[in-house]
Amino acid sequence: MTKTKTQMKIFTIADYKEEEKWLENQHASGWKLIKITLPFFYSFEKVEPEKVIYQLDFKEKEATDDYIKMYEDYGWQHLGYYLGWNYFRKKESEATSESDKEIFSDTESKIEMIEQVFKRRMLPVLTIFLAVMIPNFRGLDKLDFSPSEIVFTIIYLILFALYIWAIIHCGIKLTKMKKELEK
Amino acid sequence: MNPKLRKIYVPMSETAFYILFSLQQPQHGYGIGQTVKEMTNDEVSISPGTMYGTLSKMEKDGLINLVKEEDKRKIYQTTDLGKEILQIELSRIKRLYKNSIGEKYYD
Repeated sequence: MTKTKTQMKIFTIADYKEEEKWLENQHASGWKLIKITLPFFYSFEKVEPEKVIYQLDFKEKEATDDYIKMYEDYGWQHLGYYLGWNYFRKKESEATSESDKEIFSDTESKIEMIEQVFKRRMLPVLTIFLAVMIPNFRGLDKLDFSPSEIVFTIIYLILFALYIWAIIHCGIKLTKMKKELEK
Repeated sequence: MNPKLRKIYVPMSETAFYILFSLQQPQHGYGIGQTVKEMTNDEVSISPGTMYGTLSKMEKDGLINLVKEEDKRKIYQTTDLGKEILQIELSRIKRLYKNSIGEKYYD
C-alpha cells in the first residue's frame, strides 16, 4: 500500500513563490502532491525523491480544456484548480532549457499575473472588509458586555486583526514583487 | 486605428511581435512556440503562461481570431487589424535597423 500524509500549511495569495518552493522540497524528499483540500490541507504520496518543478498560475476562471492542453504540449502536468490557482509540475530532467522550467518567459506576463491577483483578490477582500467588518465594529462600543458577548467580541477582534494583517501583508508583498520585476 | 491599441502594440514586446508575425499562418500556441524557436535558433522561447496570456489579449483586441479548434487546441490567425499593426511594427523595425547602419529609411 502506498504511504500517504496530509499536512496543513497556510500560504496567502502573495506567497505563491514560497508555495512552489515548498512543494518542490516535498517532492525532493519523496512526497509527491496528490491533492489539495481547501482551505489549506495538502495530501502527499510517498515516492522516490525526485527533482520536480512546481509552478502556480492565477486565473480568475476555472481552467479550460485549451488552456490545460497548451500547458501539456509544453510538458506541464495540470494538477488542479484551487481558488483561482492552477497547479502545474514538470520533472526537472524533462526541461530542455532554463526557460523551459518556467511557465512565464517574460517580465510583462509575470507582472500581469500579479496585477490580476491584486484586482481579482485584493480588491474584493478590501471591499468586504470595508463593507462588513468596519460597520460591525461600531456596534462594539458599549461597555456592559455579557459573557457570551465577550467571547464573541474576542473572536471578532482576532478575526479583525487577522484580516488587517492579511491585507497589509499581501498588499506590501505583491507591490514589492511587482517593483522588483519592474526594475 | 484605435489610438489605444496603437499605444499598446506600437512598439510591442519581442514576444508579441513573434507571435503576431507567426500567426500570418494559422497555428496553435505550442506550434507558434516551436516556429519561433526555430526561427530564432532557440534564442527566443515563449513559455505557456506567456503564450496563453498574449493570445487571449490579442484575440480580445481583435488582432487575431480563432480559426478552429482541433484536439482541444485553439488555432488562431491574424485579422486585417493584426496585419495592419504588424506592418506598422515591421516598418518601425526596418527604420531602426537602417538607421543603425547609417542609412536612411523611406517607407
